[in-house]
Amino acid sequence: MSTVWLPCGDYHQDYAEDQGWWQARFIKFKMILLLAVVFIGIPQFLPEYYVSVGTMVGYTAMGALGVQLLIGFTGLITLGHAAFIAVGAYTSTLLVLQFPWPGFIVDWGLAYPISILVAAIAAGLWSVLFGLPSAKVKGFYLILTTMAAQFITVDFILTQYVSQIGGRGQAFSLPPGVIKIGPWAIDTDLKIYYLMAVLLTLMIIVLANLLRSKPGRAWVAIRDNDIAAEALGINIVRYKLLAFFVAGFFAGLAGAFWVSNTAALSPEHFPWFWSLWLVGVILIGGVGSIHGAIFGALFMVLVMEGLQWAVIPMSEYFPRMLMAFASIKDAAFGLAICAFLIYEPNGLAYRWWQAKNYFNLWPFSY
Amino acid sequence: MELFFMTLVTGIMVGGIYALVALGWVLIYKCSGVLNLAMGELTLIGAYVTLAFYTAGVPFVLAIVGTLMVGVVLGILTERIFLDKLIGEPLLAVIMVTVGLSFFFKGMVTFIWDTDTRVFTPPIFAIRPIELGFLKVSPVYLWSFILAIVLLLVFVCFFKYTRWGLSMQATADDETAALSLGVSARFVYAAAWAIAFMSAGVGGALLGNINGINISIGYLGLLVLPAVVLGGLNSVPGAIVGGIIIGLLQNLSGTYLDQFFPGGVKEIVPFAFMAVFLLFKPYGLWGWERIERV
Repeated sequence: MSTVWLPCGDYHQDYAEDQGWWQARFIKFKMILLLAVVFIGIPQFLPEYYVSVGTMVGYTAMGALGVQLLIGFTGLITLGHAAFIAVGAYTSTLLVLQFPWPGFIVDWGLAYPISILVAAIAAGLWSVLFGLPSAKVKGFYLILTTMAAQFITVDFILTQYVSQIGGRGQAFSLPPGVIKIGPWAIDTDLKIYYLMAVLLTLMIIVLANLLRSKPGRAWVAIRDNDIAAEALGINIVRYKLLAFFVAGFFAGLAGAFWVSNTAALSPEHFPWFWSLWLVGVILIGGVGSIHGAIFGALFMVLVMEGLQWAVIPMSEYFPRMLMAFASIKDAAFGLAICAFLIYEPNGLAYRWWQAKNYFNLWPFSY
Repeated sequence: MELFFMTLVTGIMVGGIYALVALGWVLIYKCSGVLNLAMGELTLIGAYVTLAFYTAGVPFVLAIVGTLMVGVVLGILTERIFLDKLIGEPLLAVIMVTVGLSFFFKGMVTFIWDTDTRVFTPPIFAIRPIELGFLKVSPVYLWSFILAIVLLLVFVCFFKYTRWGLSMQATADDETAALSLGVSARFVYAAAWAIAFMSAGVGGALLGNINGINISIGYLGLLVLPAVVLGGLNSVPGAIVGGIIIGLLQNLSGTYLDQFFPGGVKEIVPFAFMAVFLLFKPYGLWGWERIERV
């Protein structure tokens, strides 16, 4: 997606201006308004149910950002991203529950923040490990190795071995009060929402900044034509692995965040389905833009919630519908992906871009 | 030693079923270039359709024939409704449409038939093992293998000797040349999907006889991916050999590796093996190497 047309009379005179965060006063105003809605409007004025839906949107968007970086910006198709989210979640949980922390760190509530960071790095390195084949293979073959990552990590290592640590059987349970950042125990929907909002904002800022600097340009070059990129002197293996690392890092953050939202952690939270779901999110939102990940997450979570509201009244007449809601959700998701790919292959972000340009150029559409 | 041979024979027999499903996959890829990730769900549909026929009182062989017919109809419908519009689109779009299809099919199957494990009642094959020399083979495996091989032969003959099969081969080889000779590409694509539905459906029905039918049949169908990668994506003999190798690998690892890595090592080994194999031979045993230029 190329840049947005500027309103009549605004001109960029150099590259720095073109890539700037605040290209116009209107944009600055709009972003501040958006942040105010995200940080104050939603959590303070909406009922708790909507806040938890917002948390779900944020978690989906966190995962989708990593997928967007790999698929949308570097052209490396991944169908195993849930594995890296799982690595983050498990590393964080194990660190919080099992690591012999010195007393003062637990008292000051530093254990969880440290574990988030370690989890993100661990997930990043794990992702690089499975990204290594990308040096040699691409396209469909890379898809298969990322699928292998999913099955090896979640279905084998986590289910069979990691879940046994500490003798808790299949699931880790997180006693209340363990997840603590500084003086605040993350125990209400509102606090979880704020944690999500802060992490997501940081991730978006980091990703946007990476994309407008050297690595980002290298990634886009690799996506558009990897052989030409190599001829231009870009070390494609290094930048592909960097993309895997950053995507894994984001996945680790998402996983470590997810721990705060759930009382029990088990491998069922990270099925292959979730990897495919994340890819579906960016396809619907739009491949190749950060907006796409956010729009896709919004769309998918809200539509699925809406579907639930539609099914509940219908279940009075067809009681099977409520029981089989998971199947209906699967089928609806599948149809949504197919419909978007066939009829709206550019995703929601493209429509957003069109609408924005229309108003920027209005009333003279040229 | 006896255990080794037993494992070997069972592996080859299960591998025969995988080979059948893999053949369908390769046909789609060869003819239309679609990398189909919905193969697991196609096997799932086949298994449940056969079960539905069988529980309605149709004899098993006729139930298989019925599954083949349903497969043709579903295959043509799928191709016409979804894949037809995506010819020439980028890889990601085509693959994700098949992923979307797989979700759709899985959702529909679990909606209609629920998620409980079901078995063919009364059982079709005797439980008592057949003795071949010093080997004991369960009749389910033996008959499944025989049926799979027969169908494989039928499909290969169809591909090699009939007019329709030859036009499919021509399209696979060079689409433009085939078009200029009067082959209808749309017909070929529909035929490829119909054959894929048929082969996967029968494969699913056979797999369902071995372990009972539930959603995990879909996972077994996914095992065709390592099989076709092993054989090379566009090679029919490769798919057959790859399927048998995956069956062998799965059973050998189930017998010998399970004691070292308890748990689901059997399900993981094909994928792990594939990931390593790709590093050394990315085009499989007989796949075409593609040379890329700017």
